[in-house]
Amino acid sequence: MADFVRASWNRPPPTGQVMAEAYRIGVKSLPVLLIIAVFVGTNLSLQGYNAFKPLGGQYMVGLFVSMAGVREMAPVIAAAMIAAKAGTEMATQIAVMRIREQIDALEVMAVDPLWFLVTPRLLGIALVLPALTIISIFATLLSAYLVAVWQLGLNGAQFLSFAREGLAPMDLLYCVIKGLCFGIVIAVVGCFFGFKAGRGPEGVGRATNGAVVTMSVVVVFLNYFLSELFYG
Amino acid sequence: MDSPAGTAQSIIELDGVRKCFGRQVVLDDVTIAFPQNATTAIIGPSGAGKSVLLKHLVGLLYADEGRVSVFGTDMASASTRQLYGIRRRFGMLFQDGALFDSLTVGENVAFPLEHHMPQLSEEERWVKVAEKLGWVGLPGFEKRSISSLSGGQRKRVGLARAIIMEPEVVLFDEPNSGLDPLTSDSIDQLILDMKDRLGITFIIISHDIIGTIKVADYIGMLYEGRLVEYAPTKNFIQSHIPVVRSFLRRNIFGPRDSLNQRKQQAPEQS
Ligand SMILES: Nc1ncnc2c1ncn2[C@@H]1O[C@H](COP(=O)(O)OP(=O)(O)O)[C@@H](O)[C@H]1O
Ligand SMILES: [Mg+2]
Repeated sequence: MADFVRASWNRPPPTGQVMAEAYRIGVKSLPVLLIIAVFVGTNLSLQGYNAFKPLGGQYMVGLFVSMAGVREMAPVIAAAMIAAKAGTEMATQIAVMRIREQIDALEVMAVDPLWFLVTPRLLGIALVLPALTIISIFATLLSAYLVAVWQLGLNGAQFLSFAREGLAPMDLLYCVIKGLCFGIVIAVVGCFFGFKAGRGPEGVGRATNGAVVTMSVVVVFLNYFLSELFYG
Repeated sequence: MDSPAGTAQSIIELDGVRKCFGRQVVLDDVTIAFPQNATTAIIGPSGAGKSVLLKHLVGLLYADEGRVSVFGTDMASASTRQLYGIRRRFGMLFQDGALFDSLTVGENVAFPLEHHMPQLSEEERWVKVAEKLGWVGLPGFEKRSISSLSGGQRKRVGLARAIIMEPEVVLFDEPNSGLDPLTSDSIDQLILDMKDRLGITFIIISHDIIGTIKVADYIGMLYEGRLVEYAPTKNFIQSHIPVVRSFLRRNIFGPRDSLNQRKQQAPEQS
C-alpha cells in the first residue's frame, strides 16, 4: 500500500487510461443504475404514501422520498451497482492477468503493475461514482414525483417543496463525498482480490466472489459511519 | 556444484537456495551458476520447481534461505530501483506468452519501448517492432489480435517482446510446452537462430529433453527440488545418475510417453 502511494506519486497517472476507465465504468453501469434508481423512486412514493396516509400526512411524501432516497439509498445503491459490475470486473480482469502471468510479465518488463493496473481504475471510479450517485438521486426523485402526482394524485408543488426540505445542497455534497469514498473502497478491494488471486481458474472465481462480498460489507459499514458523521 | 563451464564467467549465481510454500519444500539447497553468453537449460519433470527457480532470477520470488546474486547484486537486499534496473537487462518468454489480449501484436511487442524509451518517435518504434517480428518469423503481424494467434505464434510474439529492449539475458519458461511436435521443433530452431544472432545468455527451463539437447550448451536437472546433475550437454547425456538416466530414457526412447505429457498439458493452455 505504501509502495503503491509512492509509485503513483512518483509518476503521473496515465490520463488517457483514467478517462477510458471512467468512461467505461460510467457508460456500462448507467443503464442498470437508472432502472434501479427509477424503481426505487416509484416504491418509495408508494410506501411513503401508505405509511403517512393513516396519519393524514400523505402530503409529506416528498420529504420521505428525499430523506430516505437521497441521503441513504442513492449512494449505497449506486455503490452496490458499481461494485456488482465494475468492481467484480476489476477483480476478474486482474485475477485473470495474475493467473496468465501477465502481472509477472509487467514486473519483468520493469513496469509497476500497481501503477499500471490500479491507478487508472482507482481514479476512474473515483471520478465516476459521485457523478452516478447524483444522477441516480435525480432519477429516483423524478420517478417518485411522477408516481406521487399521476398515480397517487398528490399535489406536485407540495411534493417538491417538501422534497427540497430534505435535500439541501449540503446533502448533495455529502452524497458526493460518500460516492468518492465508496469508489475508492470498490477499486482498492477489487484490485486487491485480483492481485491475490490463487492459481488456476478457481482462483479467479474466488477472487471475484470475495471481492464483491467484501466491498459490499465495507460499503454499508462505511455508509453508517459517514451518515453518523454527517447527520449524527 | 559449480559452473561446469570452467573458465566461463557467470553472471547469475544461486548459492544454497531453499524455497518453501507452506510446508512444501520446492527448492532444496540449489547451488548453480549460469555462464555468460551461453545457453543453459534446466530440465526436470512437471512440478519439480523449474518455474519457481526461474522466478528467483528476476525477483518475482525470493529465497527463504541461501543467496541469489544477479549481475553481482544480492537480490534479497536489492532496492526497488536496483531491482527494476536488473530487470531491464532481462527479457522473459512466459509459458503461454503472457501477452495482453487488449493490445494488438505490434502494441504488445512495442510495450516495453513505450514505457522505457518514450524518447523514440512512433516511427522509430514501429521500425524496431517490425524488425523483431521479422526475426521471430511473423513479419507483418503488427495489426493482428492476440486471440487470432496459435499457441506457437503467441510464443513467437512473446519472444519478440522479450528481446525488444536488447536484453543481456533471456529467460524461457517451457518454450515447447503445449505445442505439437512440428511447431515445437520450429521453436527450437528459432531459439538456435536467436542464439546465433544475439549471442547473449539464454536460460531455458523445459521438460522436453530432445529439444533441450539441440539448443543447450549446459544442462542441469532438477528433481524433487534438488539439482541432481549439471554439466555440459555432451557430458549430461552420458550421466550415470539414475534419475537422469531414467528421465533421458523415458523422454528419448519413449515417444508415447512424451506425447502423453503433451496431451496432458494441452488443456491447461486454453
Ligand atoms: N506461488 C506458489 N504458491 C504455492 N505453491 C507454488 C507456487 N508456485 C509454485 N508452487 C508449487 O511449487 C511446485 C513447483 O512448481 P513449478 O516450479 O511451477 O514446477 P515446474 O517445474 O513444473 O515449473 C509445484 O508443486 C507448485 O504447486
Ligand atoms: Mg513450470
